[in-house]
Amino acid sequence: MGAVSLKRNDSSSVLTVFPESLPETVRAVISSYPHLVGITATHVANSIELIYSFDNWKGEMKHLLVSLPEKGAAVESISSQIRGAYIYEMEIRDMFGVSFIGHPLPNAKLLLPESYPQGAPPPLLKTVSLEQLMQILNEVQMQEPPSSVIPITGSSRYSVESIVILPFGPYHPALKEPEHFAIALEGEKIVEARPRIGYVHRGIEKLAETRSFLQTLFLVERVCGICSFHHSWTYTLAVENLLGISPNKKAEFLRTLVAELERIHSHSLWIGLLGYWVGFDSMFMWLWSARERIMKLLEMIAGNRVNKSFITIGGVRYDVSDEKLKVVKREISEFEKEFRRITEEVMSYGPLEERTRGIGIYHADTAISSGAVGPVLRATGVPYDIRKVEPYGAYPEVSFDVVTGNRGDVLTIAEVRVKETFESIGIIQQLVEKMPSGNPVPSAFFMGTSKDGEAFARTEPPRGELYYYIRGKVGMRNPYRVKIRTPTLPNLVLASEAIKGYTLSDVPLILTMIDPCFSCEDRAIVYINRKEPFIVKLPRAAPQGIGLGCSL
Amino acid sequence: MEKNSSLRLVRRSPWLFHFNSGGCNGCDIEVVASLTPKYDVERLGAILTSSPKHADILVVTGPVTRQTLGSLRMIYDQIPEPKVVLAIGTCACSGGVFRGGYNVIGGVDKVLKNVICIPGCPPNPRMIYSIIKKFYENQLGGADENGSSKPEKE
Ligand code: SF4
Repeated sequence: MGAVSLKRNDSSSVLTVFPESLPETVRAVISSYPHLVGITATHVANSIELIYSFDNWKGEMKHLLVSLPEKGAAVESISSQIRGAYIYEMEIRDMFGVSFIGHPLPNAKLLLPESYPQGAPPPLLKTVSLEQLMQILNEVQMQEPPSSVIPITGSSRYSVESIVILPFGPYHPALKEPEHFAIALEGEKIVEARPRIGYVHRGIEKLAETRSFLQTLFLVERVCGICSFHHSWTYTLAVENLLGISPNKKAEFLRTLVAELERIHSHSLWIGLLGYWVGFDSMFMWLWSARERIMKLLEMIAGNRVNKSFITIGGVRYDVSDEKLKVVKREISEFEKEFRRITEEVMSYGPLEERTRGIGIYHADTAISSGAVGPVLRATGVPYDIRKVEPYGAYPEVSFDVVTGNRGDVLTIAEVRVKETFESIGIIQQLVEKMPSGNPVPSAFFMGTSKDGEAFARTEPPRGELYYYIRGKVGMRNPYRVKIRTPTLPNLVLASEAIKGYTLSDVPLILTMIDPCFSCEDRAIVYINRKEPFIVKLPRAAPQGIGLGCSL
Repeated sequence: MEKNSSLRLVRRSPWLFHFNSGGCNGCDIEVVASLTPKYDVERLGAILTSSPKHADILVVTGPVTRQTLGSLRMIYDQIPEPKVVLAIGTCACSGGVFRGGYNVIGGVDKVLKNVICIPGCPPNPRMIYSIIKKFYENQLGGADENGSSKPEKE
């Protein structure tokens, strides 16, 4: 099922590894478990515990446990074996102060604000409270008014003559969310792109440790405003598993129903925006107006369009009547007709195909080593979908296909998303047909305390595998640790690989092909030490003029 | 407040500059949704512009995080007078659910003046439409001495 407890005594799935032997163990493990799901760090007593989780594409996981002393925690980086690991390691370095030996960006930070002082304790350590952190950061802010200069991410090894480093963002017309890229250009060709995220870092993982299990549900729902339901669902799955609660069948069906509606709205949103990015505005408008039909259904079912707060620990918050299900059935078939007409028209439109075919090509190997997930990975032919490999909710009861493509580029990803939307429509029709009876609403909201233990859960949001890890301590009202690994983080590693060799005009298309959601990944922040020597120095004022207000 | 055309907060056809100061994307998507056919604020002459120098209204979504503060100030300064700040969503109004996070400063009114708040998580595009319409029809009062203004009751 979608949620599993971590059984530390089960040696077939959990291996305790000495820090020294981590690299060789990883080498042995990835031959049969090639997908790195994530690295989870937790501060317990006097040590920092790292859990490296791998998957073999079949839903069987292998966890490597490494325990490091709190003071001077250091371990070998595994990014030379799995490229995508570097971004997870940076996150842990920021949040826990662990150093990774042999990391490609040794002095760089990933997620904390620029004003975060060097000597301040890393935010997720248990020894520092939220109030103390606030105090430290407020003091710094009082002393130093925020600089209006956008930092250029990392050093560059290029000479000034041939290479121009162009700041892209954080506020750029092509990006709906703040995000900064330092793009190294040779003529018009991109030789390197370095992301710098952290603009929308809100410190959710730390906040979650101070709120009760039920309050955290509303908090994690707001990690991302597009796949909000999947965040709350994955969290709920992990909590239910930890506490041994199971919802009834109708609740499972209703959760799945809302999740699939969310996938449809998210995919039509992205396909519409694809039109916007290539300058095909009618496509954007058509798809978004079709999408309104789905939003109306969500509003009818949950009372809100975006952050639905529909799920609760042990069930859902409202029942859905048969009349409403009839409306869902009718509207979804209307949507299908409309969506089919629009996508048939736009996807066969020559200029759109020309603009997107062969843009941002990448291979399955690159995708796998970046840790990519979701439609981006499936476009290269890897049929990895959590709904199939580790079924949860009502997915075991419905039939659907995992859509794959045969080549990674913008066009294939768009085709995969279009087909997935049709699969989702099919799932919704089956769910409405087979809807069981019963009362899905628990008699009371969960207000209790936790048990000792740890659990994780995975789901398949529109952007790909989402992973939550929750640790509880007996008698506590709030979780001891909540770790969120969102799909955009590994996908971003892939996008910055795939962009190399293309021209500046392709930047918005390639960066957005992964359907990035920076608010997801920015729960933790990235910050690169400015003292790191720049070989190419930009005048301090330059980023302002270029980065803002003028489209590339 | 008196409706006096010389006191217009913004001229007709208000142009918007959208700034995500740390939100969850929910509000941003609803702002974009209000541009699309069902709500269509463009019929009021509102356009989402790419340059703050062309904008009348700064639309801010999300709580202000420490990292975005510098950019927020910079963009605010670039918008020509008279300008209005529209805080869309509970987060932008007060910090919302993220209030108390170490990287969150709070609502937009903590750092900017003349903020009109539209709470909601996120507010419905219908709501966003009706506020833009009030700008268009000049039905919003000016700011009071404290620098904050609230939409008048109809
Ligand atoms: S108000 Fe709600 S939807 Fe808007 S940014 Fe905040 S959490 Fe997201």
